[in-house]
Amino acid sequence: MADTRFVNQKMVGTSVVPDEAIPLVEGEGRFLNDIRLPGMYHAAFLRSQHAHARILSIDAGAARQMPGVIQVMTGKEMLGKVDPFESMPNRFSGGQSTQHWLAVEKVRFVGEAVCVVVAEDRAIAEDAIDLIEVEYDPLPAVTDPRLGEKDDAPLVHETCPNNYLIKRDYERGNVDEAFEKAHLVVKRAFSIGRKQALCLEGRGCVAAYRESAFTLTMWMSHQLPYVVRHYLAKHLRLGEHEVRVIAPHTGGGFGQKASIYPEEFVCAHLALGLRRPVKWVEDRLENMVASTHARDQQIELAAAVDDQGRILALDSNVWVDVGAYSTYLWSAGMEPLQTAGLMPGPYQIEALRYVTRGVATNKTPVGPYRAVGRPSASASLELLIDDAARRLDIDPVEMRLRNLIPGEKMPYRNANNLVHDNVNYVPCLKLTAAKAEYDKLRAEQAQASDNGKLRGIGVACFAELTGLGTSTAVGPGTLLQPGRDAVTLRLETTGVLTIAAALPSQGQRIMTAMTQVAADELGIKLSDITGLTNDTAMAPYGFGTFASRTAVFGSGAVIKAARELRRRILALAAHLMEVPETDLTIVDSVVQTVDRAKTMTLREMTDQSYFSAKHIPEDLNPGFEVTSFYDPKFGSFAAGAHTVVVDVDPQTGHVEIVRYVAAEDVGTIINPAVVEGQIIGGIAQGIGEALMEELVYDADGQPKTVTLADYTIPSALEIPTIELHHANTPSAALGGFKGCGEGSIIGAVGAVACAVADALNRNGGDITAFPATPERVLTGLGVLPTDS
Amino acid sequence: MKPAWFDYHAPDNLEDALVLLGDAGIDGRVLAGGQSLMPMLNMRIVTPSVLVDINQIASLNSLQAGPDELRVGALVRHADLMRNPAVREGWPLLAEASNQIAHRTIRNRGTVCGSIAHNDPAAEHPSLLVTLDGTVVAASAGGRREIPAEDFFDGMMSTSLEPGEMVVEVRYPRPRKGACFGFAEFARRLGDFAIAGAAVMATMNGGVCEQARLTIIGMGDGPFRARAAETVLAGSTLDAVAITAAADEVRSAVDPGEDVHGSSSYRRHLAGVMTERALEQAMTRARGDGNG
Amino acid sequence: MAREKTIQVTVNGRAFEKTVSVRRSLADFIREDLHYTGTHLGCEHGVCGACTVSMNGRSVRSCLTLAVQADGAEITTIEGLRNEDGTRHPIQQAFLEGFALQCGYCTPGFLITAIEFLEENPDPTEAEVREALSGNLCRCSGYQAIVDAVMSMSGKPAPENA
Repeated sequence: MADTRFVNQKMVGTSVVPDEAIPLVEGEGRFLNDIRLPGMYHAAFLRSQHAHARILSIDAGAARQMPGVIQVMTGKEMLGKVDPFESMPNRFSGGQSTQHWLAVEKVRFVGEAVCVVVAEDRAIAEDAIDLIEVEYDPLPAVTDPRLGEKDDAPLVHETCPNNYLIKRDYERGNVDEAFEKAHLVVKRAFSIGRKQALCLEGRGCVAAYRESAFTLTMWMSHQLPYVVRHYLAKHLRLGEHEVRVIAPHTGGGFGQKASIYPEEFVCAHLALGLRRPVKWVEDRLENMVASTHARDQQIELAAAVDDQGRILALDSNVWVDVGAYSTYLWSAGMEPLQTAGLMPGPYQIEALRYVTRGVATNKTPVGPYRAVGRPSASASLELLIDDAARRLDIDPVEMRLRNLIPGEKMPYRNANNLVHDNVNYVPCLKLTAAKAEYDKLRAEQAQASDNGKLRGIGVACFAELTGLGTSTAVGPGTLLQPGRDAVTLRLETTGVLTIAAALPSQGQRIMTAMTQVAADELGIKLSDITGLTNDTAMAPYGFGTFASRTAVFGSGAVIKAARELRRRILALAAHLMEVPETDLTIVDSVVQTVDRAKTMTLREMTDQSYFSAKHIPEDLNPGFEVTSFYDPKFGSFAAGAHTVVVDVDPQTGHVEIVRYVAAEDVGTIINPAVVEGQIIGGIAQGIGEALMEELVYDADGQPKTVTLADYTIPSALEIPTIELHHANTPSAALGGFKGCGEGSIIGAVGAVACAVADALNRNGGDITAFPATPERVLTGLGVLPTDS
Repeated sequence: MKPAWFDYHAPDNLEDALVLLGDAGIDGRVLAGGQSLMPMLNMRIVTPSVLVDINQIASLNSLQAGPDELRVGALVRHADLMRNPAVREGWPLLAEASNQIAHRTIRNRGTVCGSIAHNDPAAEHPSLLVTLDGTVVAASAGGRREIPAEDFFDGMMSTSLEPGEMVVEVRYPRPRKGACFGFAEFARRLGDFAIAGAAVMATMNGGVCEQARLTIIGMGDGPFRARAAETVLAGSTLDAVAITAAADEVRSAVDPGEDVHGSSSYRRHLAGVMTERALEQAMTRARGDGNG
Repeated sequence: MAREKTIQVTVNGRAFEKTVSVRRSLADFIREDLHYTGTHLGCEHGVCGACTVSMNGRSVRSCLTLAVQADGAEITTIEGLRNEDGTRHPIQQAFLEGFALQCGYCTPGFLITAIEFLEENPDPTEAEVREALSGNLCRCSGYQAIVDAVMSMSGKPAPENA
């Protein structure tokens, strides 16, 4: 990292070029598939082609005979040897699901693993897969949550009546009274299709027996190495100390690599049995059906509004098609509960009621994906606000200003029981409107366009609860209730600072952020700081990277550890330099008196501490290694408001984004360029979510989108230049940091949806189903019949 | 996602290739650019037992623009075609439409003849060949034959090639003086397979369309020649009324299938829109310099 | 019929003679047999562009090319972009300093594609850059920093290698 900086220049707030990225840009990253061990075998899975069927027989005789095949294993053969994934009993209604790592008796979605083959290479393993014959008895499939919850629907699990994996009724405040006295009641339906996180790199693992001191060493493309360690030990009946988990360079996570899946656990089981390393790399065809899907919601939403446009109450009904199993750790409750529970977003909502359901279907399980639940919660409410504004003849921005939680009302407890504080909702909205010249945009919109396109403008505001501490549950019903995360700081014998943490980055440059924070706290040059991460054998305990938490936890722990380390450094330096501690400071890795009359480099200090310690009183030399845990207790709200201008082609239904202006509050920024990348990347995914991406199943549960030609994500041509502005306010967390990984996708889905709906509304149409594919747009305009 | 086994041959002359293909019969596949075949091999959607790689056969890498026709050999890549000055000058429709084919890296490798032999209904080249009234030259160990484009394509991803036979060349007659072109296609993203598209060659004389050839892309069975629309256009000045009428004819004539990118009714609608856009382009060019 | 063939290829300036399975893709050959793992597989069906390498001066999808088809070819992968003195190629530097990669999985393909494009069009418009890169998918960046990094090369002399 560049070392040129002005005296006293803070590294926090500087776009430090990340050393972390150098191996990646030079082609020397080490991703999962780049790892090879001597004697390593390769696994491939036979997957169900049926959405729902009873397994009558499996004939793997020919596969077992094939040269190069080491082992073939079925679910039945694993019974009793390992513990399947049991969903946690949740405190709301809904049944539990049991997921065997390889299907036993029944398959419940296309893509479910049925058999595994271990062979000398992957191609041979796939050859063997082709030789295995499975006889199925097809069963009726559940593919629509609204049909699946009916009393006479087939059951995905006998243990889940009405196919509910979760159902929750919630009410707070007087909802009925608000609707009775409302000046206006607006209602809207909203649906959003199934999504794929679509990490460019799929999942994968290398499982190895007795590498170094561990019974099982697991390299895994994953966001949560310590959590994986815990569950590997639990399910394989090992001690947690016997398991080492390493997350190598990871080609995207976005939540998809935060769940626990069967395949990696199968490989671990096989490696222990074979006493040889076993590698599995998920290919794209597998990834499309075997890694968790996301969203897939239907929402019916009503608001009671007074004559000033203030929302008095929200009442919603939510159905989430959660797929065949309760996703392990996070549960089937995650999407349904967060969608309905976080519906109020940044707005003052005094009365809230919802009924939300996670309905099991014969599809791939739904799991976490960037900003779980909130994009659809936000988009449905933002669209409803636009409806109300139109009916009341209030400008949509003005209507939002009247409902946002203003700074002067904070701390503000919303009807979903969340406290909003230290967050700039109103300033974000005002900033995006000012930068976009919103009034001018509306004036231009009123004039007839000369290009034949229909112009739409959408403005959406969002709140994103980040950096959740132990006092705020990440989601009721999940197995995982994260606690504190630790960072170890160690001043090496060379005077270089090592930061160790189990907080993997999938591009978020977490280590760079922690380095910058440490540099400021300790006065150490960036080039004197190095990082170790992602390895449970090298880093202290931590929960890992998810839910916009990592920079908050990691930086907070760095600050805590750095303060103690600084205290130790200065105490020792005062002794060695024979000056009062209070006269000392650390600048650019040098301990010096304020007048710079006396100096001592950290290298000189560590020499004394490590190698000449006998001259130093023991209490002054406790060692230069400090581990601190950090828990922010509560979460911090981040916020944003996005303005989007679209042109809709009324002949093809194509939507082009012609302007995108975002304003965000992400708290104190550590590395502006990294943060900008997170926000713009999130917006791009949101644009894909709102306009393009959808996993499609037919009525029998067969997936129709199994390649990247079918599931279309945005290319450089679909994403406009994003104009990004900041209205930041520090959080209450150490350092004032907030999470910024997820929020922008929420704003993007809402603002793009509102812009498309605006274009259609002004031309007598509307749209309620997203993504707003060209065909849905034309249907919404009445150009195509609605049954198309 | 690794291919199943196959026998691989890379002969350096056409005669050997044709013998190998003849011996393999229906179990043989030609590997040229591989941009359609390789994904199917990787996914094991097709599992030929013999792969005949023609990339070593220099004689097939031949692109000749003569006074009467353009001859495109089996190894001519999309990138070669669209960059060739003689093609850009004499067959601008081919050069322009090629820009819509996938992306630069795919165009570096994918071949014109391969696209034609594959006959994906959403691909551009089969329809361009029909529009330009081209001919396919097929060869087998038993000899050569020339097949008019419209007889060559016979249904979704199906052609009149016999087992053991391959496309060695396609030929496009030089467009007549006064020929104007239009091409329009709609895909979710640039480079994706078309949901619908239209290619037109209108031969103008004194502001009047003497003859039009109009082909619709993306309709399920391969290139769809819109004859009824062509009849409407012949004798018109490509005026707005004629264009609308042609688009109406197209909408009523096509019978598109459906997939995740579009329903049958959406494709039918788009076929009309793309027809209008292609015709408007041709008309604009006709009124410009009569060349196009 | 032999299921293996001996081929000669030059990769990143180094000559290799290897016997490969005829069904091995160029991508797997480069990664598994030659250990140049900087080239990544994102889809193995030609859509994502992560596996793009330069073969005889043209970008190709190494997942859609068989290793045996590279017999006699000169190939450049991301590992071969460095200057002779070991410093980064200007476009690698532009990506690094421009924060144009996050997870880095798609980066090899973008670099190879961008270098080929800039050789043909050293002074492109932003629209041309976006179109040229549209066959390479990135899920992290929203493309803006990548487009800016390629635009920052505009007007600079064409790079020597690759």
